[in-house]
Amino acid sequence: MLSTLQPPRSLTLLPFRRFHGSKTIASLASSSPTLDASFVSPPQSQILTTRRSLLSGETTASEIAKSYLSRIRLTEPQLKCFLHVSENVLKEAQEIDQRISRGEEVGPLAGVVIGVKDNICTEGMPSTAASRILEHYRPPFDATAVKKIKEMGGIVVGKTNMDEFGMGSTTEASAFQVTANPWDLTRVPGGSSGGSAAAVAARQCMVSLGSDTGGSVRQPASFCGVVGLKPTYGRVSRFGLMAYASSLDVIGCFGSTVADAGMLLHAVSGYDRFDSTSSKQDVPEFDTQFLSMDSFESKPLKGVRVGLIRETLEEGVDSGVRSATQEAASHLEALGCVVTEVSLPSFSLGLPAYYVIASSESSSNLSRYDGVRYGNQVMADELNKLYECSRGQGFGGEVKMRILMGTYALSAGYYDAYYKRAQQVRTLIRKDFKAALDHNDILISPAAPSAAYKIGEKKDDPLAMYAGDIMTVNVNLAGLPAIVLPCGLVEGGPSGLPVGLQMIGAAFDEEKLLKVGHIFEQTLKGSGFVPPTLPNVA
Amino acid sequence: MATRALLAVVTASPPRMIQIKASTFSSSLKFQRHITTIGRCFSSDTNPSVLQPPDVSRLAETARISLTPSEIEECGAKIRQVIDWFGQLQQVDVSSVEPAIRAEMEGGNLREDAPETFENRESIRASIPSFDEVYLKVPKVLNKE
Repeated sequence: MLSTLQPPRSLTLLPFRRFHGSKTIASLASSSPTLDASFVSPPQSQILTTRRSLLSGETTASEIAKSYLSRIRLTEPQLKCFLHVSENVLKEAQEIDQRISRGEEVGPLAGVVIGVKDNICTEGMPSTAASRILEHYRPPFDATAVKKIKEMGGIVVGKTNMDEFGMGSTTEASAFQVTANPWDLTRVPGGSSGGSAAAVAARQCMVSLGSDTGGSVRQPASFCGVVGLKPTYGRVSRFGLMAYASSLDVIGCFGSTVADAGMLLHAVSGYDRFDSTSSKQDVPEFDTQFLSMDSFESKPLKGVRVGLIRETLEEGVDSGVRSATQEAASHLEALGCVVTEVSLPSFSLGLPAYYVIASSESSSNLSRYDGVRYGNQVMADELNKLYECSRGQGFGGEVKMRILMGTYALSAGYYDAYYKRAQQVRTLIRKDFKAALDHNDILISPAAPSAAYKIGEKKDDPLAMYAGDIMTVNVNLAGLPAIVLPCGLVEGGPSGLPVGLQMIGAAFDEEKLLKVGHIFEQTLKGSGFVPPTLPNVA
Repeated sequence: MATRALLAVVTASPPRMIQIKASTFSSSLKFQRHITTIGRCFSSDTNPSVLQPPDVSRLAETARISLTPSEIEECGAKIRQVIDWFGQLQQVDVSSVEPAIRAEMEGGNLREDAPETFENRESIRASIPSFDEVYLKVPKVLNKE
């Protein structure tokens, strides 16, 4: 059974999943095996463990921060997850330690080391969206999601690599560097939030923020073997997220466990007056429901109705991915779920509709990058020339292509044939999902048609790359929440490549997704998706 | 590549969802209830003749992006390929379907039309490439006749 494949028995398996009383977190970056061959415990929440260790005095925020910075220094030459590492990490950690020693209250994310995707504004820290046009840009404000993290004591350790302006599925479209997949350095980590996913997988940070417009959190989560959580559209404020497609963009969360992703999401959720599309719906306490496995009943998900989307297991999906998904469905059945097949007839329309909508909206959103008020400017003797040269030289190839496609689709005479039509298809897709979710608690599917592929494999073939988004785009069109969690390994790389299961919920029903996801994860045999040894890690 | 099969619009579905209007296609194209082949995806038969293929130079001018001649060629080929693929949307009957602007339509999130001062003006000024005390400097505008 794929899901019982043990993680590799390498000597440098990091002991952060179980904090034994006698071990300090300082041993995070050192090599000390703590798991014997027969015992694999379910993954533990790093957020909760950090809080416990800090409040009990077992360790300090400074020690934790130092060990993560050391890990970053050691692994960045191979991985290249970060575009910028913060200079204030130790200072912020010290502040937390001082507050704890004075007996003051600290927030629920105190000492938690967090990566932030580079299209999310962080005041005073470069925020480039991995584009030359914003190469040295430092925003004058924090995104609301970042502001909330800081208010709760979280430490932003750095800005992670991505495909330029969110346009891509591999980070190969970054203007600065290509991130490597920690499971196999010759393969892509996925995209566009590839840096954020890889950083969590490689334990360079505990959790991270990404953005998801067409699958950009969920697909890299699957490729890197971590949990990726996409909230309902409007659940998290988009203020400070550099807009790509305004009707599709959301900020999402990565963690090594469902609980961590859920707690981070809870921290950044809520209505924001600076985002007119942010929802006033209540944010339930979905950060407190992660029960320990000991308290599970024998069929903890009894009666939960799960719909497996038939169209996601057809031709074009790797056989390894198909079996991993079917085994995941069996695992859910063993937990008490009722799993049936459902059909979403408009499913395959989602991909062209998504690309029409996304390129159209991006052509409008990216018109603000004109070299006048911020970003790299190419001086010219005439204003239009200044725009043309600043943008021509500042934008990468994929970005230019999508802007031009969007310009075409929105031109007079073409609007009805493309953009309006795609919006109508969006209505059909919404209806299909609603019908399926009226009869099921959640829907499941693979997160991508394959595991991580080689760097360079799809770089020059846009349609081949777009095809990989087929499992994820419909969820953005419908605005629904979804979570991806690792469910198995397929062949490839030094020790296999992870494959993620996608679970889709009804609008604003993140609570149910997190409940099912947490129980699935905690009961999965052989759980613990840790990438193999990185070379040169001592 | 196996994943190429995923690009095709799957037309196997209950007839109520997807109907082909016979007049849209040339008589050589039949409505098939299988996954269509890659060749058919890119065939010009699927594009209504009223939509001209993209003129990349003109689009670049509209979008205020300068492209080198080799970029126009390379970009152009890829764009035409993708726009052809978009043509699949023409196969769908959407005659009585409302367009959805976004997923959830929660209205009324408007704020007071009252200006607020943003405190960190220095940081904004620091980002401006050509600043001349109060003014953002830009070159002249040439009026094209």
